Amino acid sequence: MTLEPFANEPVLELRRAAQRAKLTAALDELVLPLRVPVWIGEDRRDDEQLVSTDPGEPERVVALAASATPAEAAAAVAAARGAFNAWSATPAADRAAALLRAAAWMRERRRALAALALRECAKPWTDADADVCEAIDFLEFYARGALRLADGAPLLQVPGERNELRYVPRGVCAVIAPWNFPLAIPMGMTAAALATGNTVVLKPAEQAPGCGLMVVEALRAGGVPAGAISLLPGGGDAGAALAAHPDVATIAFTGSAAVGSELLRDAAAVQPGARDLKRVIAEMGGKNCVIVDADADLDDAIPAIVASAFGYAGQKCSAASRVLVSEQIHDVLLERLAGAVACLTVGPAADFASDVPPLIERSAQQRVRSYAAQAAAEGAVVSARQDDVPAAGWYCAAVIAASLPSRSALLRDEIFGPLLCVEAVRDIDEACDLVDALPVALTGALFSRNPRTVAHVASRSPVGNLYVNRATTGAMVGRQPFGGNRLSGTGTKAGGSDYLLQFVQPQVLSENTLRHGLVIS
Amino acid sequence: MHRPALEREIQLVGHELAKAFPSRRGHPIRALDERAMDLAARDEELRAALFRFVDVVPACRSAGDLATHLIGFLDEVHDQPPPLSAAMRMACSGAGRAALGAASAASVRHMAHRFIVGSDPRAALPTLARLWHDAIATSVDLLGEATVTAVEADRYAARCAAALDVLAPAYAAMDPHPLLERDSVGVLPRANLSVKVSALTPLLRAEAPARGRDDAAPRLRELLRRADALGAHLHIDMESLDSREAVLELVLELLAEPEFERGPSAGIVLQAYLRDSPETLDRVLDWARATPRPGVALVVRLVKGAYWDHEVVEARSHGWSVPVFEEKAACDRNFETLTERLMQARPAVRVAIASHNLRSVSHAIACNRLQGGSDADVELQVLRGLGDDLGHALATLGLRVRAYCPVGDLVAGMAYLVRRLLENTANESFLHDQATGVPLELLLAPPAT
Ligand SMILES: Cc1cc2nc3c(=O)[nH]c(=O)nc-3n(C[C@H](O)[C@H](O)[C@H](O)COP(=O)(O)OP(=O)(O)OC[C@H]3O[C@@H](n4cnc5c(N)ncnc54)[C@H](O)[C@@H]3O)c2cc1C
Repeated sequence: MTLEPFANEPVLELRRAAQRAKLTAALDELVLPLRVPVWIGEDRRDDEQLVSTDPGEPERVVALAASATPAEAAAAVAAARGAFNAWSATPAADRAAALLRAAAWMRERRRALAALALRECAKPWTDADADVCEAIDFLEFYARGALRLADGAPLLQVPGERNELRYVPRGVCAVIAPWNFPLAIPMGMTAAALATGNTVVLKPAEQAPGCGLMVVEALRAGGVPAGAISLLPGGGDAGAALAAHPDVATIAFTGSAAVGSELLRDAAAVQPGARDLKRVIAEMGGKNCVIVDADADLDDAIPAIVASAFGYAGQKCSAASRVLVSEQIHDVLLERLAGAVACLTVGPAADFASDVPPLIERSAQQRVRSYAAQAAAEGAVVSARQDDVPAAGWYCAAVIAASLPSRSALLRDEIFGPLLCVEAVRDIDEACDLVDALPVALTGALFSRNPRTVAHVASRSPVGNLYVNRATTGAMVGRQPFGGNRLSGTGTKAGGSDYLLQFVQPQVLSENTLRHGLVIS
Repeated sequence: MHRPALEREIQLVGHELAKAFPSRRGHPIRALDERAMDLAARDEELRAALFRFVDVVPACRSAGDLATHLIGFLDEVHDQPPPLSAAMRMACSGAGRAALGAASAASVRHMAHRFIVGSDPRAALPTLARLWHDAIATSVDLLGEATVTAVEADRYAARCAAALDVLAPAYAAMDPHPLLERDSVGVLPRANLSVKVSALTPLLRAEAPARGRDDAAPRLRELLRRADALGAHLHIDMESLDSREAVLELVLELLAEPEFERGPSAGIVLQAYLRDSPETLDRVLDWARATPRPGVALVVRLVKGAYWDHEVVEARSHGWSVPVFEEKAACDRNFETLTERLMQARPAVRVAIASHNLRSVSHAIACNRLQGGSDADVELQVLRGLGDDLGHALATLGLRVRAYCPVGDLVAGMAYLVRRLLENTANESFLHDQATGVPLELLLAPPAT
């Protein structure tokens, strides 16, 4: 099987009015609510225990989902185990072909899928479209990667023996996905597992079962056997039951640090009947800092900081949360940044003119509001226009906080909302010290025009993804493999060439080819 | 139009123009000298290093800081010509760094002054008056930092208004220049200001053009009123494709408002490098025919487009089809086609041809003459600092010339300077060809098909 080299799926050219009109039409055509079953092999159980709603208009029901029971979690794992032998024995090229067909299925429905992500997770159009593209990218990228991996790795060969190293799938993989990239992240983890011959049970975020269903539909439409990909909508308990099952060999998780560390801890204990040491691939939170040196071009830095901190209301794991700016330009930067934030529009995701969409749910809104109140009490809230924030829906004003005391929790906690803290630093090394003091290390950015500063910060920075003179968000498959270091994750890079190695184990075959002194080959 | 006749006329005009070029002044790129430009045009790495340096000059706080940056950039050049190795050695000591920083900043400032006529409109007046005396009208452009806040948008609008207040009376006091003051449509305002919509609003969003349009509208409306009251011309520049929709809608909608039916004189820009520029012209001409503005017909400035690299890189990085022509000759051909269409569309529009390309300009002049137009019915525009020689040659031949004159301080001017330098050390640039001695026959040849 030879394929065109990987290329990112082009995002829609939304500067063209005709393209925008097509998206709006797709949203109008979206038929809601969606019914999302517990879907194990061929068995569907529809129900309405789990309800996802439009964060901008919580009255609008997006999906009615069944909520998986622990028994169903076990049944799903059993189905995945049952399907494992056949799927893992399927030639890598056939598995890759199924993934590519799933990509084509998504491509054909890209506008409808973006519309669903917009409704269910309040992804603004550009982000929703990018999410669909990234899901397609993961399918295309891992299909190619798995083909390469199927060749195994070269070993030393000497006369009289034949040595072979091949990568074999680990077994059943539990995928536990977040809502903030509701198509791309579940698809990425699932596609990686499937491409390498594992079978999967997907537990989508309880806020995004509708998007989870689309991931499974795409894969099944592409030809992945029913047992190899099951859908397990539900709450945290369903995820916990799934992860704890002794027949689960791999857990691929993206989400909060609290849940991730729990998964890691529980996975370490070998349960009776288990045949695998569980491997956990975890992507967790960050506290992402943007360093701005005195020689930065603020005309570039300010829009990039605004996009990093307030795009998708700050709900990307890569979002910027702190700005560490040289004291020489602190006042100018703060004034301009505050002015830029003051003219952001908080509004519905469907409106192309909105800058800050609603947060995912009420509890998120309350959390961010309480951080904003704390910021006001502790320091100076520089910018927080409340007047045009829509009343219904989980909206929050975009907030900039400055002059916070160094012990403030706002400088450590992952707020996951439209709140950005700005701090003055003496010099670049103080900024590096502050970044280094954090236990998490996901993304970071540096604005400087001095190549030596860039090299220096790069050498001191612990983060998984460091961006120079650009936003912290928007990693592209194959171009910026993504994942955090330290407590931000297990150090794997989604969309990178070595990601698939997490889903396989190497196996070595060494054959004696000497018989009665004769080399038989 | 009869092609062979047109081609003959183009050659005639072209040779005449070439003869009228002031010889002693040297070529603009030569005049820049700095030798650096010469070196830069030949070596990609060096070019990048020098332009990155020019770009950061305003953000440096001391001579030492300047030198540190310069050395940082030069470090990345593999093939260092001798003058640069000397500079690197100089930077080993503190005193050396200070001297190097001061010298390099001075040469950047020197370069900038060729393109920027003054730190503010008042300071620019002597240059503007000298140009008027030399039979060259101007359009003043206020350089500034990017607009990211409402306050900055207001400040830019206020600067524009103040510039009109300075320019109108200053120009009123100058001697009459019939050639520059009237065409067959009517009076041509003396004072002329170019404005950028991206500076009039912080809310330009490619995927939501209405937003920037609506936010800029009140500011532009005020400026139109002021220009009208002062009898000045307001020209709205075109920027990258991301903002075209907003800019076009904004200007066409405002100018259609009843209060602007009889003034001020105003204009827009059409970029010939865009593949869909013919359709944009359709739209503009439909508008112009449906929106008669007696005596103040819309001025359309035809340019090739200043954001070519940006458009190509952006489209490629997103996997979009590239919106600009990728072959220089295709762009030049389209420029000529649009020139002809614009001239035929008169008097619904007034035509301004902005190019330093001898062929493109000669074509426009020839085409106008063959269509029976008077020389006054086409305006030829050049950029200060790059098109000075061409401007003077055109003026010498009695053609109607306007020089686009940026005004602003060094900080604000640097982005502009970098763009102009990049543009004119680019290999596919007429000025580059001219400077490197490409023979006149080739310079005047029709764009290849
Ligand atoms: C008075 C004045 C006002 C201007 N106002 C504006 C404005 O509002 N907006 C704006 O965008 N520009 C504006 N420009 C700049 C203009 O667009 C050109 O960039 C510049 O004048 C160079 O074009 P030229 O015809 O002089 O030179 P030429 O050397 O003939 O042409 C260079 C131009 O060709 C195009 N080009 C280069 N390489 C290629 C290629 N491989 N394929 C296709 N095309 C290519 C690019 O547009 C490049 O700038 C203005 C110029 C002048 C003189």
